Amino acid sequence: MTAAVQAPADWRARSARQTRLAFGQALLEVAARDPRAVVVSADTQDLLGIRPYVERYRARFVEVGIAEQNAIGVAAGMATTGLRPYVCAYAPFITARSMEQLRNDVAYARQRVVIGAAASGISLGVAGGTHHALEDLALLRTFPGMTVIVPADVDEAYQATLATLDIDGPVYLRLGGRVDEPLVSDPEAPFRPGLAARLRPGNDVAVIACGCMVEMALRASDTLAGEGIGARVLNMHTIKPLDRDAVLAAAAETRGIVTAEEHHLAGGLGGAVAEVLAVECPTRMRMVGMPDEFAMVGPTPRLRDRYGMSAAAIASACRELLGFA
Amino acid sequence: MNETREVLLKRLEADARQVRRNVWRALRAGGSGHAGGSCSAADILAALYFHRLRVRPAEPDWPDRDRFVLSKGHANAALGPVLAQAGFIDDAVLDRFYAFESPFGMHPDIKVPGVEMCTGALGHGLAVGMGMALGARIQERAFHTFVMLGDGELHEGSNWEAAMAASHYRLANLTAIVDANRISQSGPVADLVGVEPLADKWRAFGWTVREIDGHQMGQVVDALDAVPLSADRPSAIIAHTVKGKGVSFAEDTYVWHSNTVDDEVYARALRELGTP
Repeated sequence: MTAAVQAPADWRARSARQTRLAFGQALLEVAARDPRAVVVSADTQDLLGIRPYVERYRARFVEVGIAEQNAIGVAAGMATTGLRPYVCAYAPFITARSMEQLRNDVAYARQRVVIGAAASGISLGVAGGTHHALEDLALLRTFPGMTVIVPADVDEAYQATLATLDIDGPVYLRLGGRVDEPLVSDPEAPFRPGLAARLRPGNDVAVIACGCMVEMALRASDTLAGEGIGARVLNMHTIKPLDRDAVLAAAAETRGIVTAEEHHLAGGLGGAVAEVLAVECPTRMRMVGMPDEFAMVGPTPRLRDRYGMSAAAIASACRELLGFA
Repeated sequence: MNETREVLLKRLEADARQVRRNVWRALRAGGSGHAGGSCSAADILAALYFHRLRVRPAEPDWPDRDRFVLSKGHANAALGPVLAQAGFIDDAVLDRFYAFESPFGMHPDIKVPGVEMCTGALGHGLAVGMGMALGARIQERAFHTFVMLGDGELHEGSNWEAAMAASHYRLANLTAIVDANRISQSGPVADLVGVEPLADKWRAFGWTVREIDGHQMGQVVDALDAVPLSADRPSAIIAHTVKGKGVSFAEDTYVWHSNTVDDEVYARALRELGTP
């Protein structure tokens, strides 16, 4: 990284506590560092907080309107000419609707496109199931060559966005919605794609979490500590490539693993961890996430509780795994 | 170039005949393939690669090269021969159509020199071409981007997302060529879901349109030489063509959208196409 380029001084204030806004702020630094960077928006200028970018780098900005398929195709076409596109979009639409463009034009054609996918999971709780993205990790992580990152807070979102400068391939950055995400990562620790961050020690059980569930995993770990249970917490911010070593070490050094994600139980972080363990080191597991149903309408925190994506649910899963339930 | 127009057209017509012979050669090597859409596009592809496109076969990644995206990627049986005749790939590759580990499969692959995007899933190429045209503008490069679409392909709604956005951005450095052979996989396009009036649709989306007979080399060359058709709009060339053009039994029938090609069929096709 070049020392001459500084982060926008007020980026953290402007990001509030929301990863989607930290991504938009980080794009200013990305653009300053790499003249090949361009931004594509699918009518998402406020969702991703990119108006400062648009104002400063208008010649390197393309608004395609409410047209997600076009956003991905255009980004892939620009990438073939040597540009490095960052697509700003809604997670539910840019994945489900543009899946073929993501697979063919980006992944299969090996184009270096970064997707900033905001409003993932059930962060748009009141919008209903049409606007939830609970299958995006399962879909994206099957594409060869795709990097899939789920930042847990604004610091991680900012650093992960900068880290894409050095990733030689397409990247899916799963970002939150209009819901505050508490700070959980160490802002001084460098963000290293593909390497899990151990946020709590513990050798009784290991909780492997991503995104907004990391904060819940920490609270669960604190609760369990009061009961004499050492619950290790791994922030598995990179779903692909998965940190297999951290997973295998957790399996070897504890009595079981609980995964936690705001995603369907099929195919997401829990699935990725299970794929490693089933083959390399069969391990007792519990998975915390969205059950096999569409979410009802409601405020996101209420929905998280309703569907068992909570600190209490993680703590219960840990106790059950250890035979204390 | 001191080539007279008459000599140019004769040369391109001979090139197009050779492309068609190689289409059938590839199809025989593979045992089957998309004869119809490959042969309807052959004259336009010849005029593009042997006259209009500024490309360097020895330097396929030349940054200022014109871009061509075969959005109707099932016509790869014609793109391969054109790339071989232009010198991007070895002629022997044409005998390895569909072969294990061959670079020359049913659809274009960006790994192949001269191929700009993996296409064939329909409705992708125009958006990609729009991105290339924007890439030229943002990097202040003078290259032009051509995208060839099928008329049946225009059923895919993503084309119209790109058509609307490309005119919004006034991408005069982008040209869509519609190979309007009127026939899709299951039958006439008009019997599936009609796409006419095509020219009016493109005009309504903000493009400048020219309609040509896609098998009259003079009209093909004139249209390609005339783009950009306007200074601040993308150009659309609607080429009225005949599916399977050049071989009577394959012409104007959905049966030859894709079909089996054995030695006997190949011999019959070559009898009509003649020898070089």
